[in-house]
Amino acid sequence: MKGIRETYLGRWLGDALRIFNLELRNILHDGGVMIIFVVAGFLYPILYNFVYRNGILEETPIAVVDDAACSDSRRMIREMDATREMNIAWRCADMEEAKALLQQRKVNGIVYFPSDFGNRLAAKETATFSIYADMSSFLYYKNLLMGSEFVMLHEINGIKIERLSLDGLTDQEADASVNTVLYEDVNPYNRAFSYSIFLISAILMLIIQQVMFYGMGMSVGTMREENRSFASLPDTLTGRGVGRVVLGRGAVYWLLFMIIGIYVCCVVPAMFGFPQRGCFQDILLLLALFVTVCVFFSMTWTTLVTRRESAFLLFLFMSPVCVFLTGFSWPTTAFPGFWKLFSYLFPSTFGCQAFINLNTAGAPLPVVAPQLRALCIQGVVYYILACAAVYVENFVGRKSGQGILARSGPASTQTD
Amino acid sequence: MTFFDKIDNVIRREIRIWARRPIYFLGSVAVMAFCTVFYLTFLGQGVPSDLPIAVVDLDGSSTSRNFCRQLDATQLGKVIHYGSFSEAQADMQGGRVTSICVIPEGFNRDIQAQRQPTFSFYVNGLYFLGGSLAWKDILTMVNLTAGAVQREVLRMKGVPESEMAGLLRPVDVDVHQIGNATMNYGAYLANMMIPGMLQMVVVIVLIYSLGAELKYGTSRHLLDTVGHDMYAAVSGKMALYTVLFTLIGWAIEVILYKWLHFPLAGRLGQMLLACFLLVVASESVAVFIIGCVPVCRFALSIGALYSVLGLSLTGFTLPVEALPAGLRGLTMMYPLRHYYELYVQVGIFGSGFGQWYVPVIALLLFCFLPFLVMGRLGRAYTYLNYERN
Repeated sequence: MKGIRETYLGRWLGDALRIFNLELRNILHDGGVMIIFVVAGFLYPILYNFVYRNGILEETPIAVVDDAACSDSRRMIREMDATREMNIAWRCADMEEAKALLQQRKVNGIVYFPSDFGNRLAAKETATFSIYADMSSFLYYKNLLMGSEFVMLHEINGIKIERLSLDGLTDQEADASVNTVLYEDVNPYNRAFSYSIFLISAILMLIIQQVMFYGMGMSVGTMREENRSFASLPDTLTGRGVGRVVLGRGAVYWLLFMIIGIYVCCVVPAMFGFPQRGCFQDILLLLALFVTVCVFFSMTWTTLVTRRESAFLLFLFMSPVCVFLTGFSWPTTAFPGFWKLFSYLFPSTFGCQAFINLNTAGAPLPVVAPQLRALCIQGVVYYILACAAVYVENFVGRKSGQGILARSGPASTQTD
Repeated sequence: MTFFDKIDNVIRREIRIWARRPIYFLGSVAVMAFCTVFYLTFLGQGVPSDLPIAVVDLDGSSTSRNFCRQLDATQLGKVIHYGSFSEAQADMQGGRVTSICVIPEGFNRDIQAQRQPTFSFYVNGLYFLGGSLAWKDILTMVNLTAGAVQREVLRMKGVPESEMAGLLRPVDVDVHQIGNATMNYGAYLANMMIPGMLQMVVVIVLIYSLGAELKYGTSRHLLDTVGHDMYAAVSGKMALYTVLFTLIGWAIEVILYKWLHFPLAGRLGQMLLACFLLVVASESVAVFIIGCVPVCRFALSIGALYSVLGLSLTGFTLPVEALPAGLRGLTMMYPLRHYYELYVQVGIFGSGFGQWYVPVIALLLFCFLPFLVMGRLGRAYTYLNYERN
């Protein structure tokens, strides 16, 4: 009977294990890579949570110019001051004064009541007031607009009922003819349109992908600088064995990042009292799939990295780009065609969407099926590409004798 | 050898390195070109249109159908009909629709009988822009529908048309958006994201340029070419990168404000000055980082951490007031923050020098940073006494 080591499977496992050990030793002995994994992987989620902890901008300072000086305008100013969004910080004599305050950034908006405001209300006409929003941040504009609209809608109802009562309608009749349709708006997943809830949900998964990519990039770059190939096949095997190299190496990263991933996706939200509406098994399943795809994704793209630091120089700018490509802020339906296709290159596009839906919106697993399917397709494609990269690298390496590493050259070629 | 000869030597040497190592070109010019194209094309027209809005029409009356048609006709909305709420809810949780409107059964009948039916709508606030825009769009349509019904009711009651406007809308608001009148999200984002990327690229590339000398042990060679004058070595490198990145930055400013005509209340020249100062200040930060930690890879990691966080701490998306108190002061560490302050004065208010000299001074203060670490960096360059990898 053949021993287990002599069967194909046995040899396969033995090789994979050897590569696994080698890679693990490499990572653990490389201070730089460990710093990226540990510091960035563990610190970044905390840092971002801390930065966006408040998430809601309240009490935006506003200047008021009340040329109407009537009881209605005064009441509206008081009501605006009472909203969560606005804080009437200054009362100005004229627009020039208010403009100066806006320029000095002591206020972020101006509310102006023209002198005919009260007269028009008394004459049963439409009275118009103006708001001027500082567009240096859209949140200032949003606060000014929402605050004044709430007050306006509230006022409109009161004034309408008052006017109809004057026409001889009873209060109930007036109310029924004014409020013909009642409405209720529900924002179940992010009640206050908090900036932190939507941003952090999107960013957590991205951190996993980026940290893995930079870390692996650094490790691959180091090997190349030391004239070793990350793709070396075990000597006992022929070129058909690329699968075990990819899977053996990948397993190291997979295990490491499942730990980091569980911390990022399950522990961090709990630490910061973040919504966790998803089912733990579902999130774990998503995470396992996402990390797998990320491993093959990183393996494929880090083939392009020739030096230790190249990953930072060449790909750091991709982190904010990937954030936008997840579609959490600019809606996916409004993506231009090319960028939509481009976004399919990154696991984060689907991983983030699936995580937002599962964890923060509390969707059941079938709802995120399209994203999971996309991740599976990505996983298969990137696995094939990663294998191809290893194969090509070995093929070229064997042909040229000393390996393709000749192109990155010895370290001393930096200067003459 | 005069100081300028030394600087000339450094620049020539740096250009030779550039010619040999494509990574410098790729990391600076190519990256900035990609980012500029990305942030200028990704947001398209700057205002999204046809956001999918789910409608569950349990009434099926002429009023509800009319509502759907009108919602569909708005620029922002595109109506998708669903048979049941649970189907629509699954798609909202999946992010495929931004919001759900539920028109209750008997909606039309209740309106006619003045029984005040309740119209409900649900918004997915996790997809921020889509959610909040859909919220605004639906709210407007609900008010318009209610207004149309009111008009009918009032007409039946015999209210003359001349009084109608005052009764339907007694108070109105006139909204002025200072600095971005068209609410162009693309302009808003590109205005700060692209300079933000410039800050990132300047910091990373300059740290690498200075760090690579340590890493590859070529720093002594560099010092030999300048007669062991550390100031000349760093100044030479900074001079070359200042020219390069300032030109890139100016090209971007011209594209933004002259070619695409993004709103700019002040003069272009003022923004070009701001851009130049941003580049110089970012370079100073880079020298400071590599000076404090003269190990190429550590310095790059710190630079990466620093500049990625910089985008969040600038305060153009989430204003600085909304940050935790402990972090507000930290935003001062970023040249981009001061560039933003300057942009607000120049671009939005078109103020004069009296309003924007403070950020200019702040950006100039960054230039003192390299002096603090010059000795340390010089020793590292001479003795190469730090870890190389």
